[in-house]
Amino acid sequence: MRSTLPLILTFVVGLFMVGEFFIPHWRYHMWTQVFLEWGFILAAAAYVLGLVNLVQVNLPKVINKEQDWPYKLIMLAAIATMMIPGFIGGETRLQDGQMYKWLFDFVFVPLDATMFALLAFYIASAAFRAFRARNLEATVLLAAAILVMLARVPIGENLPIIGTKLVQFMNWIMDVPNTAARRAIFIGSALGAVATGLRIILGIERSHLGTDG
Amino acid sequence: MKLDTLVRFQNMDRRWIFLGMGLAIFLPMMFPITLPFKVDERVQALYDAVEEVPNGSTVFISADFGPSSRPELEPYFRATLHHLFRKDIKIVSATLWPSAPPLVVPIYEELAERYGKEYGRDWCFLGYKDGKELAIKSIGENIPNAFPKDHVGTPVGELEVMRGYQQAKDFPLIINVSGGAPGTREYVLQIQGQYDLKIASATTAVSGPDYIPFYKAGQLVGLAAGMPGSAHYEKLVFPDGPPEGVRLLATQAYNVLNVGHAFIILLIVAGNLAFFVTRRAEEQEA
Amino acid sequence: MKRLLAPLLGLLLSLVAAPTLAATTLTATSPADSSGENLDIAWESSDAPAGWAVLRAKGAAAAAEDTWTVLKLLAPDARKLSDKVTTDVWTDPPADAYRYELIALSTVPDLQDVEDATALVRASGSVAATATGSPEGSWFRTGLALKNYGPMLMLLIILAVAGMMWKFTEDVRAGKEVFIRRIPGIDAIEEGIGRATEMGKPILYVPGIEELQDIQTIASMLILGQVAEKVAEYQSDIIVSCRVPIVREVADEVVRSGYFQAGYPEAYNPRNTRFVSSEQFAFCAGTNGFIYREQPATNIYLGRFFAESLILAETGFVNKSIQIAGTAEATQLPFFVASCDYTLIGEELFAVSAYLSRDPRLVSSLKASDWIKVFVVASILIGTVLATFGVPLVINLFSISGG
Repeated sequence: MRSTLPLILTFVVGLFMVGEFFIPHWRYHMWTQVFLEWGFILAAAAYVLGLVNLVQVNLPKVINKEQDWPYKLIMLAAIATMMIPGFIGGETRLQDGQMYKWLFDFVFVPLDATMFALLAFYIASAAFRAFRARNLEATVLLAAAILVMLARVPIGENLPIIGTKLVQFMNWIMDVPNTAARRAIFIGSALGAVATGLRIILGIERSHLGTDG
Repeated sequence: MKLDTLVRFQNMDRRWIFLGMGLAIFLPMMFPITLPFKVDERVQALYDAVEEVPNGSTVFISADFGPSSRPELEPYFRATLHHLFRKDIKIVSATLWPSAPPLVVPIYEELAERYGKEYGRDWCFLGYKDGKELAIKSIGENIPNAFPKDHVGTPVGELEVMRGYQQAKDFPLIINVSGGAPGTREYVLQIQGQYDLKIASATTAVSGPDYIPFYKAGQLVGLAAGMPGSAHYEKLVFPDGPPEGVRLLATQAYNVLNVGHAFIILLIVAGNLAFFVTRRAEEQEA
Repeated sequence: MKRLLAPLLGLLLSLVAAPTLAATTLTATSPADSSGENLDIAWESSDAPAGWAVLRAKGAAAAAEDTWTVLKLLAPDARKLSDKVTTDVWTDPPADAYRYELIALSTVPDLQDVEDATALVRASGSVAATATGSPEGSWFRTGLALKNYGPMLMLLIILAVAGMMWKFTEDVRAGKEVFIRRIPGIDAIEEGIGRATEMGKPILYVPGIEELQDIQTIASMLILGQVAEKVAEYQSDIIVSCRVPIVREVADEVVRSGYFQAGYPEAYNPRNTRFVSSEQFAFCAGTNGFIYREQPATNIYLGRFFAESLILAETGFVNKSIQIAGTAEATQLPFFVASCDYTLIGEELFAVSAYLSRDPRLVSSLKASDWIKVFVVASILIGTVLATFGVPLVINLFSISGG
């Protein structure tokens, strides 16, 4: 029963949700909406579990002074620092003058932007390492990358004689080979997703359920 | 050049690359090089789509970006608000990203004040809605249901700007400023085809190529990708330069990209030259 | 003759003097494949008023407690309106019928802040036509009436995949060989687990950053179960880093089950399945921390990723981990290809669980989706040729629109 019930539930609910696309009747959609909102409620409840997990994993390491325990302490302190002003501020927490807003504007925003900015440096090092003309395909990739990078910025557009042609060629690369490749990946992924979804709904795929036997 | 120097060059500590990249970005910011540029066809289409919206009507803006995508998208967002407010187009806005409201509300308030636009009458911000695809579907079906109150708690029925606008298809144009997911792809897949909506998108440079197929298929009426897209849009909105108090952030940053891109290209070319020379030498030794 | 003259003159005069009556017809019909919440209002008229107004009341027959609502004021050249009869089916379900009145306006009233809009509209014009309509919800969307054959085609594809899965499963069970091309990235998973065991270091598994309902996350959970079982067999450790709390709960259950299946339930450490943060870059920084501090020998990134993909992969590269990535997110594939040792592209991610387990039923689903791909490619080729000659048959076949 422990392994059968989840399979039955998956089959019934899965079919019901697939049916939403084919059955437009409002009485049907009422219930699919309910299922979706149950899903969101469960996801929201899981945030509490996530917080518990964070504390459960890291607090013992701080208490026992395990390796790198100062970093765990900083993380736990950061959780408290953001959470407490958020609860105190409530609906007004995003208004000017609120501690939560100050932390958001002057701690979270710069840190988030900094992490994203790291990509510029990592792209440079990854490109230097990976873009080697080892064979024909790699050479084509390399040439296309250089052309697109050059044409995307004013310096390429303003190159004498070839500037305009470069931009036209770059637009062609984006409009034709790029579009074709992305559509192909998209279609292939969508078909893979259909097959995966069917396997789960029909109970063929079960490893996500987890069983003790 | 000695062979082992070339080998060391190919395997150099990446911190040298980081240093070079840092200088390639920092120096043009200190010593700007301004080069002219032409507007991309997709950005022109986006601008034209806004121009076609009759003055005085209302558009829907889904401002879905956060601190990480702010540098690329905030300039476009500001330019769009200038464009819309100048045409006396009213704005109904919302977001699907929890980190967006503290970023976008101050911008709305700043530019609304500049153009003498009143909250509730000329623009409103309905706040953040959780649910991703479900939220988008709700916007397609019934906006007051999805957002019963605006971001400050006013019932949506009391907002003058919302009168007559119950669902996405009531708006002549939907503008999605999209930093990732949920964003443009979800809007196109969930509601564009179903309601035959006119959707324009401004997105990050990484996502831009992904949405070109949507533009080519007519599912998007215009597309501005990344800093270049924002710079092109700024050029269209301010063809004679910015008015007082307005900084064209994307245009400034766009010119910084010149040296950054050139640095990466030179690095790749140099790396390949070193690779060919060392490979040939190894083949000859063998 | 004189006796007839007067009536004849009178008739002639009345014909000349009488105003020309505008013929206006109003219809309220339920659109095809409708949810039952809409009615299409349309009218034909030779009249040229200052504008139109459409009023609506519930019920087929007039009643004392009728409440008329002004739906919309329309331009003089308007001839149709789509009416959504309810905004909330829970509190106000669609009625069996609705009555409509089309008002030809002689002046366009300003309805702002007006208490009784209906009375004002009626006072601004006259009733040109009335109609009654019943919204009918469709219990099956064929798309035929709208010439959108996409829904039917999708249903056929789903049924075809299911049917082929069953057929190919029977074939495999009967002993027929099914060829699956070698996918180096998937072979590398087991090698990576072996490498980690030899080095005495853990494996890091990142199931993407999307919610549980994303199909890529689901596919990643399916793979995690098999990877966890292998890790348990090799008596190594697996760290799972999750951005979404509910994904962490499912991953915990999946990994625990994998250890149990391998026969080492006591070796499972729940502290190795970790929720880091729901913020994208905070999650990225936290996972980078795991890489730097715990120095996994093998990093497996399978699922939906965004901008953090390159940061994770580069950090893993610096750590000299073997890295296997797989995503259907096309924007991140270039970063994984540049930084990882093996990359699974698009649908290869969905093939991993079948490839690893070689279960006949899973393998048959791969074959089924491959045959659908053949059908799609053929449709594209045939459709392109036909469309070039102005025949939109295949385009209509794949069209899905309207709602």
